[in-house]
Amino acid sequence: MTQSKTEGLTRRSLLRTSAMVAVGTLSAPSILRAQSSEIVIGCAGSHTAWMEQLVAPHMKKAIGADILFEGTKSSVNLEKMSSNKDAPYLSVVQMDDPVMIQAVEADLLNPITAGAVPNMTDLRPDAVHMDGMWCNYVQPWAGVAYNTDYSDGVPTWAALWDPANAGQVIIPSLQNTEGMWTLFVAAMLGSGKPFSEAQYEIDAAFAKLEELKPNLLSVYSTMSQAFNLLEQGEISMLAGNFSSYTLPRKGEGVPVDLAAPKEGIFAMPSGICLVKGGPNPELAEAYVNEMLGAEMQAAIADFATSVPANTTVTAGAVIPEGVPIYSPDWAFVAKNRRAWIERFDKLMAL
Amino acid sequence: MSGRIDRVALLAVPGLAYLAVIYALPLLMLLAKSIQTAEGISFSEYRAFFADDYNIRVLLRTLRVAALTTLLALIFAYPTAFVMSRAKGPWLTVFLVAMVLPMSLGVVVKAFAWSILFRANGFINSSLQWIGLTEKPVRMLFTETALVVGAANVFLPFMVLPIYAVVRQMDRALPEAAASLGAGPFFRFFNVTLPLTLPGVVAGSAFTFSMAISMYVIPSLIVGERQQTLSMLIARSFLYLRNEPLGSTISAVLLGIAIFVVVFSSWLARRLGARS
Repeated sequence: MTQSKTEGLTRRSLLRTSAMVAVGTLSAPSILRAQSSEIVIGCAGSHTAWMEQLVAPHMKKAIGADILFEGTKSSVNLEKMSSNKDAPYLSVVQMDDPVMIQAVEADLLNPITAGAVPNMTDLRPDAVHMDGMWCNYVQPWAGVAYNTDYSDGVPTWAALWDPANAGQVIIPSLQNTEGMWTLFVAAMLGSGKPFSEAQYEIDAAFAKLEELKPNLLSVYSTMSQAFNLLEQGEISMLAGNFSSYTLPRKGEGVPVDLAAPKEGIFAMPSGICLVKGGPNPELAEAYVNEMLGAEMQAAIADFATSVPANTTVTAGAVIPEGVPIYSPDWAFVAKNRRAWIERFDKLMAL
Repeated sequence: MSGRIDRVALLAVPGLAYLAVIYALPLLMLLAKSIQTAEGISFSEYRAFFADDYNIRVLLRTLRVAALTTLLALIFAYPTAFVMSRAKGPWLTVFLVAMVLPMSLGVVVKAFAWSILFRANGFINSSLQWIGLTEKPVRMLFTETALVVGAANVFLPFMVLPIYAVVRQMDRALPEAAASLGAGPFFRFFNVTLPLTLPGVVAGSAFTFSMAISMYVIPSLIVGERQQTLSMLIARSFLYLRNEPLGSTISAVLLGIAIFVVVFSSWLARRLGARS
């Protein structure tokens, strides 16, 4: 075989070129991002609307940051943080309290300090958790969303079990934080005990949930689709939905409303945290500071019909009067949630 | 062999390297994870998976849905491929665009579209009542039937195109020769046409079955959490239960089924090709 130097492609040159291309391709995003003003924020999929309309423009103006949102479920955000623990790409994550507890246990968070985030000092004391590992920034309230073409309201959670509503109800999976509300209500109704005791009566809760099966059209893990079915009148009630989602839709003229049943409503635990080792830490702290500041708090609370955590702000949702508002023992939830999910899935399976 | 290498063979290097890094390596890590336990190498996760009735029900449902989806897609695809093979000029373009264009539409959009059609007041129920076949809405949303219909729609092009490719190359003189020898339409179809097109049917079925058995978004949106499939169990294991050995085990089971389907269908296609 004759060889020509000009046309020669050797294994060595091929491997060298391939390696350079591969290294260049794989490292390009981090090289480009390293010195940029971009930070990636993990948040709830249902928050995308106000994150894009309110937060992104404000952050560009206030701290010069280009915000990239990844909207998904809290548990998916946790998995992203856990899987990328050695090289995090998220700087800040907004997710629910029970998942925050798991993130703390997995050593995925940096504490938020008043030195770096001064607006933290204006928060309600109960909005700061585990010595600042995370803070609640807003708190929507959760009840039963219903289609106003079907009824004028949902006076009691027991309506979910009413035979008249057979096939007309959708509840969240326990994979979703809002799924816990139906579980705790089932515990209250099943055990006959007040919430403070009933939240630990899980066997009673599952027994009561079993009685709900004839009324269920489905169990969702993607809330937007279930809500769409409520809007279209395919179902009459969606359990565990919250003010930041239902009330803005009501405001747009959609025939839905959020009921606060007499047994009580729940405080959605929306938290914000700093990712340990995340990119652009100073910018991340500045972002959190802005999120907890009066201007952003008022804007989000109004837009998402939620209760602000900043005590200097009077805006947003008004908690319905005359009904108790509950916040469960999230440590107990975090400890048992996996077993509950498996039990729930088997119970609800067709 | 000299120090030089076949330059044509080098064309495969980027693809193979890409697959090795992006596909084979993670798969090997996944398989390794499924047998790694605190006590060392063990198949205990597999034993636990197959010992749970719920998992078996999910496995059987996944296989049933994939098989029915493949069958329904085949029923629609087979005659379509024949019509396409006879189409010429702009009509062929119309058919090909009709097959390919929907693939550019996201699966989420298609699944949502089907969920709208299947509603109590949706197009299908309204039509059934209008023509008098039903008196009141039939529940279709969140049923296995809806899932099969929706999935068959999404995967239809992957069944049509391989069959079309085979039918296009089929010697049309053969069925005509059989007819000239007195063979009736049914005899011609089952003894001449069908055997000649079976390699395309096998390839299309393998594509469709492999995709149907691993689909995640479509069942999530059309049947919800009460009728889980293996893919939904995998997502649940990794994301919610944070049980990587269980997720890896279910992934390995799914992978095993997919590999079996691919290997068996290639063997079958070779055999049928040789025979025809």
